Amino acid sequence: MVSAKVKVINPLGLHMRPAQLFVRTITPFDCDVTVLAAGQSINAKSIMNLMAACIKQGTEIEIRCEGPQEQAALEAAVAAVRGGLGE
Amino acid sequence: MMIRGVGASAGIGIGRAVCVRPQALAFSQVPAGTPRQEKDRLAAAAVRFAADTSAMAAGLRTRLGNQEAEILEGQAAMIEDPVLRRQIDDAIDGGSSAEGALDAVCGQYAALFDAMDDAMMRQRAADVRDLRARMLALLLGLPRQDLSALPPGTVLVAYDLTPSMTVDLRADCVAAIVTEAGGFTSHGAILARALGLPAVLGAAGALEQLADGQTVIVDGSRGQVICAPTPAQLARYQGLQAQFLRGRQALKAYRRGPTRTADGTAVQLLANIASPGEAAAALDCGAEGIGLFRTEFLFMGRQTPPTEEEQYRAYAQAAEAMAARPVIIRTLDAGGDKTVPCLAMPAEENPFLGCRAIRYCLAHPALFKTQLRAILRAGALHGNIRLMLPLVTGPAQVRRTRALLAECRAELAAAGLPFDPDMTVGVMIETPAAAMDADLLAREADFFSIGTNDLTQYILAVDRGNAAVAELYNPFHPAVLRAIRRTARSAREAGIPVGMCGEAAADPRMLPLLLAFGLDELSVSAPSVPAVRAAAAHWHVADARALADRVMEADTADAVQGLLDDVLARKGAGGEQAAPV
Repeated sequence: MVSAKVKVINPLGLHMRPAQLFVRTITPFDCDVTVLAAGQSINAKSIMNLMAACIKQGTEIEIRCEGPQEQAALEAAVAAVRGGLGE
Repeated sequence: MMIRGVGASAGIGIGRAVCVRPQALAFSQVPAGTPRQEKDRLAAAAVRFAADTSAMAAGLRTRLGNQEAEILEGQAAMIEDPVLRRQIDDAIDGGSSAEGALDAVCGQYAALFDAMDDAMMRQRAADVRDLRARMLALLLGLPRQDLSALPPGTVLVAYDLTPSMTVDLRADCVAAIVTEAGGFTSHGAILARALGLPAVLGAAGALEQLADGQTVIVDGSRGQVICAPTPAQLARYQGLQAQFLRGRQALKAYRRGPTRTADGTAVQLLANIASPGEAAAALDCGAEGIGLFRTEFLFMGRQTPPTEEEQYRAYAQAAEAMAARPVIIRTLDAGGDKTVPCLAMPAEENPFLGCRAIRYCLAHPALFKTQLRAILRAGALHGNIRLMLPLVTGPAQVRRTRALLAECRAELAAAGLPFDPDMTVGVMIETPAAAMDADLLAREADFFSIGTNDLTQYILAVDRGNAAVAELYNPFHPAVLRAIRRTARSAREAGIPVGMCGEAAADPRMLPLLLAFGLDELSVSAPSVPAVRAAAAHWHVADARALADRVMEADTADAVQGLLDDVLARKGAGGEQAAPV
């Protein structure tokens, strides 16, 4: 298992558009991806649960990846969040 | 008979009703197959749903732009959500049909999104319901509701207008739109405005009361739907419709900035809003920013004042919608005629002369600082937010607010939250005191904005609500005009911008005076923006100054208005004012 912490910079948090981009980024990797935020543990490949977590700007999230492609998945996920998820 | 709703897209539409009732999606009679069969059916429907939806999104993107398309792309992503699919499969394993399982799981998510305190997330509930209805239709083998073959002159009446329904809607066949659900910011409203179709949304009972083929008048400016109109009503509305279309045509060129006078002097033309959702409509009308964001609405209709987080989201939404354009947020203007129940303000003998607006806020620093922190944080997003203080009478109030702002910044820095370190702080000039000591205020304030409603009533000592003296209330009174001129002069001498955000700013008769006094910015209601821009383009500042010189010699409000009316009638300037846009 590998993990990293990263801050969400999107002005309106992880709403539909950035959440969708996040899911699309990590879905191809063969591993489980979990986001820990505000005491919740979220299956990060689920756009519904990611949106339902209502993650706001400035929230520090922890991304955990576990499985054969965990390292590559983590790097892609962290880069996507740091880059503002297309916003 | 009339049905009322929200006027979500201006204009008058007259046509015959076509009622699109929600499809009957009953599935209780559908026999469930084996779990394997049901899961396969669900999976096959999901593949089709995703493909259809992505194709619709691509079609909408070219026709209507990104916003509607993104909603559909989001729905395509939702049906591919592995957790949602596992929950549906689990329900099928528990004995449900594919339809029953889908219905139950979508219902849970819709309820979850419905309960959120974030308006944008609540919109997702509508998306989940649309997904549910379309997936059920696919599973039941029902045809997709087809709006491509509407007869010309259709008044489309529906429960709600979802992005998926709008894909093959042909604007040239639709005279107007009426829905039972939705409001000014819902998908249907955005769509109607994008297509330039009159629309009344939130018209409860419309599907029950209207029948297919019935003649209907839709007044999207006033939010009214008139069923089975009399010949007299029909004639009247045909006249209004023609007038509206002429006005819109004449103002078409003025729906975009910049705003310039005939000699090329730039004026910034902004819009007044009362909620962040109105920002989109303001942009649509060609506003170059928000000149007055009234924050009282955030405090209305609730038991406790809004939290910093709630306020932040509202301010952030406005900042976001306007991007690089300015957004002037007025701090809480409670008291006077604006009662805010959640604050439980004590009754006063003279509320207009009492503890209201900035006075109330400075007397309640915890409440005030909550708002200031939220505004400072929203200012960090684009650096486009400016702070404006209501009912200021002297520089000490500005200094006190700046001290509180410094405290707020320190608190935000300690909490690690981003904020605007250098926010512009302006004052409203709406008391005689502020107009008199404008030279002193100009040393403390970064800008002035003249609020004509309060300024007029305080300068003239007239209660607008008192019928016995109401006719004395007149912003064209020489005393009010002198206060405006004096304020503008003080601002110019101090080198700070000065604007106006009262109703008078949209009056074509006031415009030449404001241009002559050298106002830099005007903020008016969003629908007035094109008309004010058109009127400004008619004036040379030199002519406006010559006229102002004469006007300032007149010694009654009647004489002032008489002079201005004469000049405007001869000039024809502001002639487009007649038709609302």
